[in-house]
Amino acid sequence: MLTTLIRGKVAFVIKAISLALITAVLLMLTQSAFAQEQYAIALFLAIAIILLNYTYFSKKRVPLKFFLPGVLLLTAFVITPILYTVVMSTYNYRTGNYISKEQAIERIKALAVESDPDGTAFDIVVGRYRGEFALLASDINNSSYFISTVSDRIPLDPESLEIDEIGVAQSAPDFTPLPPGKISSSKAASLRFKFDGEYFLTIESLNVGVVLRQTLEYLQPTDQFRSLITGALYDDNGNGNYVNVDDPEEKLEPGWRDPAWFSNFARLVQDDRVRTPLFSVFVWTVVFASLTVITQFAFGLLLALALNKPIRGRRIYRSILVLPYAVPSIMSILIWGGMFNTEFGAINEILGQQIAWFQDPTFARVAVILVNLWLGFPYFYLVCSGSLQAIPGELLEAAAIDGANPRQVFRRITLPLLLQILSPLLIASFAFNFNNFNLIYLLTGGGPKQQLDGEIAGATDILISYTYQIAFGSNIQDLGLASAISVIIFFIVAAISLYGVKRSKVLESFS
Amino acid sequence: MTKWLRENLWRHITGIIMCVFALFPLYLVVITSFNESGSLKITSFIPTDISFANYKLLFTDERIPYMTWMKNSLVIASFVAVVSVVVGAASAFAFSRLKFKGKKAGIQILLLIQMFPAILALSAVYVIMERVYTFAPGLGLGTQAGLILIYLGGAMGVNIWLLKGFVDSIPTELDEAAKIDGATPVQTYWLIFIPLAAPVLAVVALLSFIGTFNEFILARLFLVDMESRTVAVGLQQFIGGQFSENWGPFAAGSIIASIPIVIIFLSLQRYIISGLTAGSVKG
Repeated sequence: MLTTLIRGKVAFVIKAISLALITAVLLMLTQSAFAQEQYAIALFLAIAIILLNYTYFSKKRVPLKFFLPGVLLLTAFVITPILYTVVMSTYNYRTGNYISKEQAIERIKALAVESDPDGTAFDIVVGRYRGEFALLASDINNSSYFISTVSDRIPLDPESLEIDEIGVAQSAPDFTPLPPGKISSSKAASLRFKFDGEYFLTIESLNVGVVLRQTLEYLQPTDQFRSLITGALYDDNGNGNYVNVDDPEEKLEPGWRDPAWFSNFARLVQDDRVRTPLFSVFVWTVVFASLTVITQFAFGLLLALALNKPIRGRRIYRSILVLPYAVPSIMSILIWGGMFNTEFGAINEILGQQIAWFQDPTFARVAVILVNLWLGFPYFYLVCSGSLQAIPGELLEAAAIDGANPRQVFRRITLPLLLQILSPLLIASFAFNFNNFNLIYLLTGGGPKQQLDGEIAGATDILISYTYQIAFGSNIQDLGLASAISVIIFFIVAAISLYGVKRSKVLESFS
Repeated sequence: MTKWLRENLWRHITGIIMCVFALFPLYLVVITSFNESGSLKITSFIPTDISFANYKLLFTDERIPYMTWMKNSLVIASFVAVVSVVVGAASAFAFSRLKFKGKKAGIQILLLIQMFPAILALSAVYVIMERVYTFAPGLGLGTQAGLILIYLGGAMGVNIWLLKGFVDSIPTELDEAAKIDGATPVQTYWLIFIPLAAPVLAVVALLSFIGTFNEFILARLFLVDMESRTVAVGLQQFIGGQFSENWGPFAAGSIIASIPIVIIFLSLQRYIISGLTAGSVKG
């Protein structure tokens, strides 16, 4: 065995080397995380390093040796995201409010510029003048030329320049052009070059410079923005945006993510545009999950009953019937999607109809349930046939002797017993389908929906796919609201699953 | 004869109808994959001329790195399967057999975590990996390494829970005897638990493999490059994305991608079903 072969000093050396390697990698990551100001991640990595080294060099702490790697992975990629979801649900985290406040202030400053009344622009060459970044600007119409650095504007004599056929200066004394490929990546791209008074010159494209002026200034002491043109003041509205003091509707973009406490949860109940779709989606989610479990179970049970006797060809039936379960579900969902196509789909062709399956809410819902039946009935067939075997034969015989007909035996004995045995699985299946994202996303995309009306929720959207649409799907990505819904879904699923666990505990104590 | 009919006819009718239902889409994929026209339309139920053009396209067209997708999927899924079982088995052993402070609370947290659908925390994972990208571009958003780490974390809850259930079912007399003979927990783990658990470990690894192979949305959000995609994301492009409604190559690609999974599944059917009933439903 491994442990008896590798022990003592050899084992220690191997352990020390691998730990040293892991520590080195993690240390590097910690350091760069710290450098990029990702303090939470840096802290987590540092704790992981300490724990790993402490655990594996200590002689005690045996249980920790076993579960530390698993627990670290769980903490990093499951527990932290769950907690982070909860945190995000209390922020106004959405498109337009995605960055931190410091970043937002920088962005507002950078965006708050306007061109002069004439929209003056120059042909430019980007380069260096006496070591400094500079623009060699040509005013073709007036044949006037100048070099502009960050601090200075130097008029040039056209005689001293090399001018091309359309009148653009290409080089000047003491001026070395930058290779065009380097301009966008160099610092020059974001610099403001001297023009005149409040106006400055910036690089618009490779060879065009425009004249702009700053329109807003940030007042640090009062945390306000002030318009340099109108003098209007913009205050932090406590909701992740600077707004005009006199007109709260006038926002400065971008905003930042700001604690919104429970306002995302409040929106679920109060905001009509959120509440109405959410409610209908919730109802459909419950209907969808229940119908799925009922149909899958019913067909699985029917098959299990039919094939519960050693009839001819039972093995062949069985191998064919599990195929839908064995094929990767992504592939089969996409294929079903094609089969329901209105014009080319196989289903309309067989029915001889032109049903617009995915354009009509009712048909789309029927299609979703039908496809899910196909995906799931083999599972319940397998489970039911197993459980049918577990029902004691004497019980059924006794009932038959007492004069019960087969239908009565099934309704009074077999079915109640099966439901009892399988209740944890039925509940688990309900919980799974409650969040069956792949099916909805790949089959209907949640549709049909009135996208023109700005509707995000479609007729077949379940909570999880609706949440996905809110977070990633539409133009305004609202991670805060999506997280709030996620938190609620989690409580629902946890309640269902815990109930299922309790049921199986009860069953265990029976057997 | 009539008695046979009365007793068995309905059984065969049910069996045949459900078999047709089960086979129909699969049969359609097979004939589509041999049909050059690229549409999912049934021209006839018995294909007249069989063409391998779709298969050839997958392996020769430079715009479709099918082999790379397949390789990506296999590498990612195998890596996740093996590592998550190795790490998960050790944790499961600790949670089942060893004594330590906070064990009961730990098990309860584990129970809650393993029923948490990973997709609920999707936006959080996305934002976190976006941040990781700022300091470690090799691990963050858009990399296979980052995706593997997320899969590993996600698989951990269910795997530990399934394996813990198995260790619980091994009689404690075995390790008590070993303890009396002077075995340390590490020796008990390697010499008693691992040999006993080998078949179960294999099944849990296979379930992880199939689950990872089937995962779509994380892979879709994470892997942006054509070259780094998994086969599931890549194939979806044929009918949803830039190639649009190219059912022929999609069908051929699906068949090739499904074959390993179907073979694994059918040959280990019995074990997989028992593993599934013990834990959760197929993901």
